[in-house]
Amino acid sequence: MSALVAASDLAVAYGGSPPALAGVGFDLRPGERIAVLGPNGGGKTTLFRALLGELRPARGTLVLAGRCASVPQTERSRLDFPVSALDVVLMGTIPGRAWWRRPSRADRAAARAALARVDLADRAGRTYGELSGGQRQRVLIARALVQDADVLLLDEPFTGLDATSAARLEALLAELASEGRGVLIATHDLEQARRWDRVLCVNGRQIAFGVPAATLTHDVLAATYGGAIVTLPGEDAGAPHHAILPPHHHHHH
Amino acid sequence: MLEPFQLPFVQRALVELLLLAVLAGTLGCWIVLRGLAFPAHGAAAAAFPGLVLADGLGFAATLGGFGAALLFALAVGRLGARRDGDRDGDGTLTALVLVAALAGGIVLASDVFHSAASVESLLFGSLLAIGPGDVRLAGAVALVALAATWLLGTRWLATGFDAQAARALGVRSRAPDTLLLALVALAAVAVLAAVGALLATALLVVPAATTRLLSDRVVAWQLATVALAAVEGAFGVWLAVELNAPPGATIAVVAGAVFALVALIPRAREAAA
Repeated sequence: MSALVAASDLAVAYGGSPPALAGVGFDLRPGERIAVLGPNGGGKTTLFRALLGELRPARGTLVLAGRCASVPQTERSRLDFPVSALDVVLMGTIPGRAWWRRPSRADRAAARAALARVDLADRAGRTYGELSGGQRQRVLIARALVQDADVLLLDEPFTGLDATSAARLEALLAELASEGRGVLIATHDLEQARRWDRVLCVNGRQIAFGVPAATLTHDVLAATYGGAIVTLPGEDAGAPHHAILPPHHHHHH
Repeated sequence: MLEPFQLPFVQRALVELLLLAVLAGTLGCWIVLRGLAFPAHGAAAAAFPGLVLADGLGFAATLGGFGAALLFALAVGRLGARRDGDRDGDGTLTALVLVAALAGGIVLASDVFHSAASVESLLFGSLLAIGPGDVRLAGAVALVALAATWLLGTRWLATGFDAQAARALGVRSRAPDTLLLALVALAAVAVLAAVGALLATALLVVPAATTRLLSDRVVAWQLATVALAAVEGAFGVWLAVELNAPPGATIAVVAGAVFALVALIPRAREAAA
């Protein structure tokens, strides 16, 4: 099966400045979940913006065989906004319409179907800000689904979720992938990253790409996080266990 | 008790206020939701020197006021856009232009055109002396605001909800947002005759900010704002006539008092519980 995303020697820059991310070469196949691991400012968001077409490659090639849709962090959206879950999903139908058109009945039906797909059909009329963090994340996934996205780009989707919500979200992502979509998950969380199919480590440039077991070595992590790595006594049979010191969170508004 | 409403000039004021209530209910909600309250106040203040200039040079005052307000609104929007959607975050620029506009208007009125007599009505409105042209302007701008809400409401909502995500969605926000700013300028000019440059927000912001505390859907919020602005306007006019007080300021005081009540009652209840 051909890749949904194929990047080769990709460099992405803002305006005329030096590339914020360089040397990226990876492919995302249908049904695959790839973790994008890296520190703040390491280029995860830059990569996503290139995939969304907001930034053009400064060098190399980026081939997309499907439509990418972004699933941002829920804290970025305004929780005090007077919108229902359905209103938020309907925002995903705007780009498909001429500016003078209002959401059609078909748009509404598609939005309801997307909400049902993420198991929130009964919350369509609820105010977005009153939903739980996990539910809000699923509403934003529904907004991406209503755009008929083949590739979902999730930014730190597990941040702030309790264990139950996180497990539920993980199961949903597995299902969406099994339907032939590709999923990219930007994360700080090494434990999360180990559970995905492959992992792409970036820190201004691509450090490594491959299956987690072979890729997440001490050296790769040290290069990715600049040395802020501690090695824990092995829990699994003989395998050394690495952890990243808690990163400083910069909230972008 | 309702005798004031039998006077023709009070009736005309009432019609003006009902039309402006539609404007307050539709556009006012977008102003509050998109954090444009201070720019709206600034646009109305910017209209003041435009009006004086038009008056002194002898062309239509509405045009002069709208030109100045539009220039201001677009400048604020343009500078804001450069900072990734954060419109003049701390309001410093808006405050600077506001002061310059007021000072410029006063100097023009008193020293250049010697029209100081009308300064008070430009700043605080002259609701009981409005003409049919003012009523027509209010009606036309209310209609434009209704139509724009109908057409662009979902885009204004998506951009305000999360500007970055809206961009990623492919929602082009530049044209709709520019139109929103132009509408704010138009609205600022439409309310000038009624409440003046300094009290424009009594109609454009305060009613919407009040009902915002009580509503969690845009359409319900807008309907509630139209109703509240209409009631506040009618009561304010009646009170002004009964007390022989300036109507624009009276409406502003009524609107402010209602806001304070609505904002404080739940807190008082919480404190009592």
